[in-house]
Amino acid sequence: MIALTPLEQIPVPAPKPERTYSIQCFERTITFAGLKRLLGAADYSKAGDRNAGLAVDGETEREAARAILSDLTLEHLYDHPLADDQGNVDTVMRVNYAIDPSAFGAIATMTLGELKDHLLRSPGAEVARLGRGLTGVMAAAVAKLCDVHELIYIARKILRPSKARTQLGLPGTLSSRLQPNHPADDLRGIALLCYWGLSMGAGDALMGLNPAIDTVENVSACLQHLDKLRRSSGAPTQICVLSHVKTQLACLERGVPVEILFQSLAGTDRTNVSEFDISVDLLDRAYRSMAEKGPLRDIAKQFMYFETGQGSEFTYGKHNGIDMTTTEALCYGLARRYDPFMVNNVTGFIGPETHLDSFEMVLANLQDHFMGKLLGVPMGMAPCYTLHSHITLEGQQMATELLTAAGANYYMDVGLNTDRMLAYFDTSAHDDQTLREIHHKLPAPEYLDWGFSRGIFARDGNGTVTRGPTWGDPRQFGSSDAEFRDLLAATPALYGFESAGPRPANRVSRAVKMNQGVGREAIRAELRVEDLQKITPMRVIRTEANTKEAHLNSPALGARLSAESKRMLTPETLAVQILISDGLSAEAVHYNMKDLLPVLLDGLAGRRIGVGKPLLAPYGRVKLAEPVAEALDAELIVYLIGERPGGDALASRSLSAYFVYQLKNAEVRRQAVQASGNAAIRFEYTVISNIYSGGLPPAEAGAVIVEKVGDILTHQAAGNRLEAMLKKSGSAATPE
Amino acid sequence: MSAAVQLVGLDFGTTTMSAVVAEGRLARNAVTGRTDLDSLEECYRSEMLFTPIVDDKIDEAAVARQLDRWLELGGVRAERIFGGGALLTGLTAQRDNAALLVTLIRARLGNALIATADDPCLESWLAFMGSCAELSRTLPDRCVLNLDIGGGTTNLALGQAGEVLRTGCYFVGARHVQLKPGSYHIVRLSRYARALFDHLGIRKDVAATLTDGEVAGIITYYFDLLTAALGGDRRILAEPTARLHEQVAFRTLTPSSSPRGRGEKFAITLSGGVGELVYAHLDGKPWPATTAFGDLGIDLARRFVTSPFVDDLRRYRPASAGRATVYGLLRHSTEISGSTLYLPNPEMLPLADMPIVGTITLMSSDADVSEWIALAGRCERGACLRVNVGSHDAAAVRALGMRIAAALATRSFPSARALVLLVSENVGKVLGQYVTRWGALAVKLMVIDEVPPRNAQYARIGVPRQQVVPVSYYGLNE
Repeated sequence: MIALTPLEQIPVPAPKPERTYSIQCFERTITFAGLKRLLGAADYSKAGDRNAGLAVDGETEREAARAILSDLTLEHLYDHPLADDQGNVDTVMRVNYAIDPSAFGAIATMTLGELKDHLLRSPGAEVARLGRGLTGVMAAAVAKLCDVHELIYIARKILRPSKARTQLGLPGTLSSRLQPNHPADDLRGIALLCYWGLSMGAGDALMGLNPAIDTVENVSACLQHLDKLRRSSGAPTQICVLSHVKTQLACLERGVPVEILFQSLAGTDRTNVSEFDISVDLLDRAYRSMAEKGPLRDIAKQFMYFETGQGSEFTYGKHNGIDMTTTEALCYGLARRYDPFMVNNVTGFIGPETHLDSFEMVLANLQDHFMGKLLGVPMGMAPCYTLHSHITLEGQQMATELLTAAGANYYMDVGLNTDRMLAYFDTSAHDDQTLREIHHKLPAPEYLDWGFSRGIFARDGNGTVTRGPTWGDPRQFGSSDAEFRDLLAATPALYGFESAGPRPANRVSRAVKMNQGVGREAIRAELRVEDLQKITPMRVIRTEANTKEAHLNSPALGARLSAESKRMLTPETLAVQILISDGLSAEAVHYNMKDLLPVLLDGLAGRRIGVGKPLLAPYGRVKLAEPVAEALDAELIVYLIGERPGGDALASRSLSAYFVYQLKNAEVRRQAVQASGNAAIRFEYTVISNIYSGGLPPAEAGAVIVEKVGDILTHQAAGNRLEAMLKKSGSAATPE
Repeated sequence: MSAAVQLVGLDFGTTTMSAVVAEGRLARNAVTGRTDLDSLEECYRSEMLFTPIVDDKIDEAAVARQLDRWLELGGVRAERIFGGGALLTGLTAQRDNAALLVTLIRARLGNALIATADDPCLESWLAFMGSCAELSRTLPDRCVLNLDIGGGTTNLALGQAGEVLRTGCYFVGARHVQLKPGSYHIVRLSRYARALFDHLGIRKDVAATLTDGEVAGIITYYFDLLTAALGGDRRILAEPTARLHEQVAFRTLTPSSSPRGRGEKFAITLSGGVGELVYAHLDGKPWPATTAFGDLGIDLARRFVTSPFVDDLRRYRPASAGRATVYGLLRHSTEISGSTLYLPNPEMLPLADMPIVGTITLMSSDADVSEWIALAGRCERGACLRVNVGSHDAAAVRALGMRIAAALATRSFPSARALVLLVSENVGKVLGQYVTRWGALAVKLMVIDEVPPRNAQYARIGVPRQQVVPVSYYGLNE
């Protein structure tokens, strides 16, 4: 167990007043107001920084910022810690200052430009040593000076191995985390995805599930299931269920095998505390618990696992004016405190509001890998995307080729790239094996031996490791055909197990890409207002998003009414208003409204519930319901909005019904405050999702919605408070 | 979220009786969106016991003692039972006091599961589902014909891709002629055996001993009768003794009536006690000693392994041949509804022995709809109607719902009686709302959706769990 330096014993200079940084560039004087602005301007332009007002428009300004940054010494960065919005050094920044003083001392007077050159000239061991003397801000600043070759060249010199049952990050290895996510944590589906991944040589880093339900009971059941699968397969690896750290600690207390402890990290205290519900104190306690009670404490050198990704601080509006690359580097500085077994980066996961396209995602991933390795953490990578961004599978593949050249420790294995729970697209076991073969990499040595014994791997006449006869056959782990069919029946988005070399067979790839294509078109499609008006007359209102691109790239715009619509909507004495919007799938509206809306209107009329003429809002986000409710003085908004498409073409037509209940009555609001613990609460939300022909059919959904409206108005409550009331009264809750 | 439930199967056959108890969880399937049974694990399996018969009657006291023991060993609690069933089959179902045994089971388990006797098509269906449904799914292009040969009856079921298409039942079984073990000395004869003896010219009764030739004659008759049934040879089946042995005629598929129109040869499988003997022999086990079980089961089994069916019997292996019915009861007798039901009065459940009085479709005339509603209203505790909407189209559901509402209003459906609509599409709530005019009509209606429209006479609807209800059918018509 490593000693965790008490926070108060980490020396950090006091924040200083912001200074301006200027440079003369031909006839222009270019000035940046403060270090945060300078760091933001020096980076490649990315959507999150543009939306935060930190990126600069032109190459000249960017290069001017880089030139200034190049001439700043490391000491200057050390002496100017980036403060939070209250002007204080937060605990994440403080932990970043827990550096190796001798390493820092040797380079303190170097400029950042000189440091970059030194890193390029030095052998790997020296680079790795110096990295321990850097804060996250310093690593981020160097990253902003590096081009693609430099980000790869420096990073590949640094080895950051780690060891639990298997050893990761050894020279010549490329590992993977098996990620068998299932939308309902169905143990059968999880088993099938584990079998499939193992059969392709994936999972030597971890069998790690992101749970759909974060309760101690469910996480315990999933951990025990993964433990059973690990034991029965004999695969030398470790398991993890990536729930909140508090849930995992409760599982550990129950004696459940929490072999590796996971937590998502952000680069600012405000994000960690108010969004992730963690603190450095909590992480310290978690680390010590694992060191004392973790089942691998006697064999693992490391047992913590952190996940990060550029942009989370920005999307929560808690980035303290710091750019995405720098806040990401601060995460690694925090992770370093716990000598983790794995750190992985999921830049691209959030969407176009942080990374618009493949170029932005690829560059960000290379920066992240470089910074993580430099600062001293064992970096695995998960270059990924959602369908509403302009990042594509091919962009993701380019990222993996470059990151493998840069020496990434591991990638994810998400079956056929399609995460069945989180509706995003990550790397797959096919990708991992392809990269191993292209770049002459092998799995972790312990796992490779197991793979030989099962015929998953073999050696050819030249001694080269190849795919063995059982590679890619998930049936080898099941007990019978009947069991296998049972597992298949519980697993969505399976397009076939056939492979061609290390790749999915063409037929399989075509099905995957066709589904993604349909999903992307559903997102890009415009609402057909005239057709919808034929179902029933509607009032068309506007949001502040004027175009589809603006709507997709800046979620806040679609949550606000345009000035004109705000003027148009005036208070009405009606309990319910129906609002319809494309959200992230106009096709969901087109396919469902014909059957849903007539039933809904019939039902409200039949129940004598007053309802206004439906409102249709192109480019709307969920939060748009709140200003609409306030403008119309409605008690309840029934908001029908297209869901974000995942990897299933039919599901890209899936609609959600949000019930947004305005707490107008003072006594009701008091009860809501009491129930939620949120003194500022103004609305309660209930949602029914998955409305489409393959889920809850739209006509049936219409009747379900009417019933829920009745429940909400009768009980004057929505969300958890309503469900508690219904449970108490013995009413069957509607599936959501 | 999931909930633990218990399933129970109790089979009282002509020769043997047995029990199986399993536990599983009701969980939402992310692929289909439906709630289904997950992690089903058998937690108790009884030994196979001889069904206690005294003076041609079921020994009720002995059965009751055994039943109580099984329920205790299996940890069965009525309130935890979600599905399954108890079935009296073969000649046991024909005993004079069979109904009393049903009452005895219901007294212990209430309406938690179906308990019924003499339901030959259900037996055939269950035996198929319990033994070779899985096999059938692996042969989607081929029909599988299962013969469940027990002590009293042979239940035929023809299915494809795991679904039963046709059933039939014949009084052909091992125990019509009961013998002293180790010999062909007659101990008891059923009325069917007596008729057969007359037909074959065997002038022997209890206490006499059958010759080898007579045994061969009986076995050949049984085998030929079943072969004729499989092939639809009505010429043989029209003969009076054959007709006596035919409880439910098996209507075989012709090439044109085959679902795929090809009329390939069926894959033959066996289940029941005789099936178990056949497969054990094919696995290399020696035959038991002559008439070791005191009946003709071993001789019947021997006949099958020397027949042309043996190639199929070697090639296609069903699961759990000897316990097909009880496994069928356990795993397949209960359908799980959809999760958005029209169920404003859940306290009315469970409802057992609900007659299914008709089927309403989009094509039904208003007069037909009115008649079905009137018929349902005349049933003492209410009734079920199958409703076939055929789509999820809102306009279709609305139109049909409003027509049923009009019939309910004009026929003044009795307010105390339950009307249960069973519908296969996921439209339970919306149909219920239109039928009740959004709650304005005072009728005790429930609409149970996403259940298959089985051709049965009765249904049992259990209490809701995890927003779904269990539905069991019995009194199968074919």
